[in-house]
Amino acid sequence: MSDQTIIRFENVTKQYDNDPAVLNDVSFEIERGKFYTLLGPSGCGKTTILRLIAGFISPSKGNIYFNNKKVNEVPANKRQVNTVFQDYALFPHLNVFENVAFGLRIKKLKSEMINQKVIEALKFVNLEGYEKREIKEMSGGQRQRVAIARAIVNEPELILLDEPLSALDLKLRTEMQYELRELQRNLGITFIFVTHDQEEALAMSDEIFVLNNGKIEQSGTPNDIYDEPINRFVADFIGESNIVEGVMVEDYVVQFTGKTFDCVDGGLNQNETVEIVIRPEDLEITSPNVGKLKVKVDSQLFRGVHYEISCYDEDGNEWLVHSTKKAIVGSEIGLNFEPEDIHVMRLGETEEEFDKRLEAYEEGSYES
Amino acid sequence: MKAKSRNYYLIPYVLWIALFVITPIVLVVYYSFFNIEGEFSLENYQKFFTPVYLKMTLSSFWYAFLITFFTLLIAYPTAYLLTKTKHKQLWLLLIIVPSWINLLLKAYAFIGIFGTYGAANKFLEVMGVGGKQILFTDFSFVFVSVYIFLPFMILPIFNALDELNPSFIDASKDLGASSWRTFSRVVFPLTLDGVKSGCQIVFIPALSLFMLTRLIAGNRVITLGTAIEQHFLVTQDWGMGATIAVFLIIFMVVIMLLTGRRKRGEMR
Amino acid sequence: MKKFKWSSLYLIIVFMVLYAPIFYLIFYSFNSGGDMYHFEGFTLDWYKEIFNDTRLLIIVLNTIIVALLSSAISTVLGVAGAMAIYYARRRRTKNTLLSLNNVLIVSPDVIIGASFLIFFTMIGIKLGFISVLLAHIAFSVPIVVLMVLPKLEEMSTSIIYAALDLGASRLDVLTKVVLPYITPGIFAGFFMALTYSLDDFAVTFFVTGNGFSTLSVEIYALARQGVSLSINALSALLFLFTMLLVVGYYFITKKTSKIGRMGVRK
Repeated sequence: MSDQTIIRFENVTKQYDNDPAVLNDVSFEIERGKFYTLLGPSGCGKTTILRLIAGFISPSKGNIYFNNKKVNEVPANKRQVNTVFQDYALFPHLNVFENVAFGLRIKKLKSEMINQKVIEALKFVNLEGYEKREIKEMSGGQRQRVAIARAIVNEPELILLDEPLSALDLKLRTEMQYELRELQRNLGITFIFVTHDQEEALAMSDEIFVLNNGKIEQSGTPNDIYDEPINRFVADFIGESNIVEGVMVEDYVVQFTGKTFDCVDGGLNQNETVEIVIRPEDLEITSPNVGKLKVKVDSQLFRGVHYEISCYDEDGNEWLVHSTKKAIVGSEIGLNFEPEDIHVMRLGETEEEFDKRLEAYEEGSYES
Repeated sequence: MKAKSRNYYLIPYVLWIALFVITPIVLVVYYSFFNIEGEFSLENYQKFFTPVYLKMTLSSFWYAFLITFFTLLIAYPTAYLLTKTKHKQLWLLLIIVPSWINLLLKAYAFIGIFGTYGAANKFLEVMGVGGKQILFTDFSFVFVSVYIFLPFMILPIFNALDELNPSFIDASKDLGASSWRTFSRVVFPLTLDGVKSGCQIVFIPALSLFMLTRLIAGNRVITLGTAIEQHFLVTQDWGMGATIAVFLIIFMVVIMLLTGRRKRGEMR
Repeated sequence: MKKFKWSSLYLIIVFMVLYAPIFYLIFYSFNSGGDMYHFEGFTLDWYKEIFNDTRLLIIVLNTIIVALLSSAISTVLGVAGAMAIYYARRRRTKNTLLSLNNVLIVSPDVIIGASFLIFFTMIGIKLGFISVLLAHIAFSVPIVVLMVLPKLEEMSTSIIYAALDLGASRLDVLTKVVLPYITPGIFAGFFMALTYSLDDFAVTFFVTGNGFSTLSVEIYALARQGVSLSINALSALLFLFTMLLVVGYYFITKKTSKIGRMGVRK
């Protein structure tokens, strides 16, 4: 653990009564100054992590450290953390200025100081001149900004954002993604952003935690996660994928759909059953005789930037292709791809299991 | 955070419930077991099942039924037509306002209107029917009661009609139903909850009113409420009064179970 | 077009019947003749009589004091009650509390009156000001609860979390967020309690002693003796007062709720 670590979860479990655990034995570290995203489907535990960090709930088991101090039982109002809520949670009885000033007034700052800080914070989110507005006079995007200003004005070490963009329309949402990213860079504060939108996560984050069923499935940079999904869940959840079963023939050689292909993965067992991921945009349409795979076009949708073409090979596997070129439904086409486009995954493994196995394998005691 | 804090607000509130909700009911039940000499007995209950009290109970129910019936008969069309008006909320407010005026004053007004030389008799004379004794009759009692309860019936029905999704009516017409069938098969069944709560709001007080029977019906009508008042404040037979109150409570619970839960916002 | 006319006629008749008695009363309050039958001439004598009747003025004062005190106290208790129900964790506790809350609202006044009479006599409270005040507080509490609770429930829990998140203590959350948020509900509850107390007859009739009377009880006593035009004058004044309260209440709640939610009064 370095000095850069701001939050550390140590085998944290959260369970309500006798229900199954919402969060199951989770450990991770968050470093200072980065933009983190917790990504996963609803009910995966991402919001629970946020609430644990904010201090609204405390863990059932395990420990949470903030700047190396255990904070399990420290209440929310004593933590150097601020949250931007999904529904913004702006106080409807206060105007914009008073909403932003709320935290500062609690700290009993002098009024000139409050004035100065609030105006500065509003400037940061491009809301100068809106001080006297009532909350109900503000649009969704503006409310969003007020909520952010209300968080940053307290100069917290960490800002938690709970799906803050989910209520906005697509255009505004994309705009706010840029703004949030820029804001984080300018402020240098650690952001933890929760979302179920994989595109949002890929676009904004320094690091992504993919969660499912109360566990972290995989963590890493957007590139790592997109290019090397560790299992079917991650591959499926992040972007669209073609997933087929295959067998590892030897290092850098894999067999699927009855054919053998070169790939860039090694260090697996010989003849181990694996899953192969190929992204739809990595498949290139050629003539049937030239392609590595021969498929029949089943249907086609125009998606604006590309055509989404659904094809089937002779074994009945579906292959999704994203192509700027149009295909003819019912025709036979060939599909081409490069060795590095093949991503090999071991079956149903979590990140931890994968690491353990890799260790065991290296020590020579692994038996399949 | 929230889970660990104790709910201190419960202390005064539960105290209020214990003192003013539970204790009084327990005391009423307790007193019903004492006869007029203050001895513990079931005498009061035996008395209740004598023809005198059973007849009184029956007539009380009969009047309450009449009042509820006529109130509903007038209220439903009124509520229905109100929802069709422009500025319906304003008209509704005007319907509600009379209910905010002291009940006794309204009853008192009818003493004047229904009196021997009152406006009602003058009207009858003009119509050629001739003067009649109106005050202190069953008619005047039911009429004034309906008058008083009308807003209480209109409000829940209005709310039910107002909340009715207009596309149901369009859908019914679209499917070929006539206006009458649309009303009887779609509108009325969907507003039945409003009708039920309206009936409940009217029926229970109609069983227990006592000032109206005294002022308007001139002791001709004796409801359960009148009997309770009589026993507590006139004959000082608290035991018997409490017994009738116990039965009134039982009837009330049964009626509430029959008419189902009331929705929020439909008070008294 | 013709159909529209018939329906309008029906509504007009209903409205006329609803308002006629009230205006009939007020009209005859200016009658110099002594009855509600023949209007002889315009006079303000009945109003003068009211203002010269010290006993009646004391009763009016009593009524107002009881109403203000009982609604203030029941507002405090009712807000606490609404909070208690709101913060109750288990669904069953919540429902039980709500059911118990509504007992006094659905109970007929005679039962409330009779049971309170037994209760006050048992614990030895002298019938009079105190017993009337206690009774009024008791039956106003559930009304306040019902006016405040919806406000609490429509409040998003995340604003409480937001306040905690911004460093507010539990007291800060209460005074700076929750109470300001539910203020319209508190006002509405206070107002409702006020009008219930001002209008109550049956409960007061049971628990009041010889020396103490409120306006409703007094009107009942007068009305039993027959027609007296000073009651008419009193009605006119009360009508005016009620209208003022209704308008006041209307403006308090206008922003937050539909009129249909206002509730009718018994």
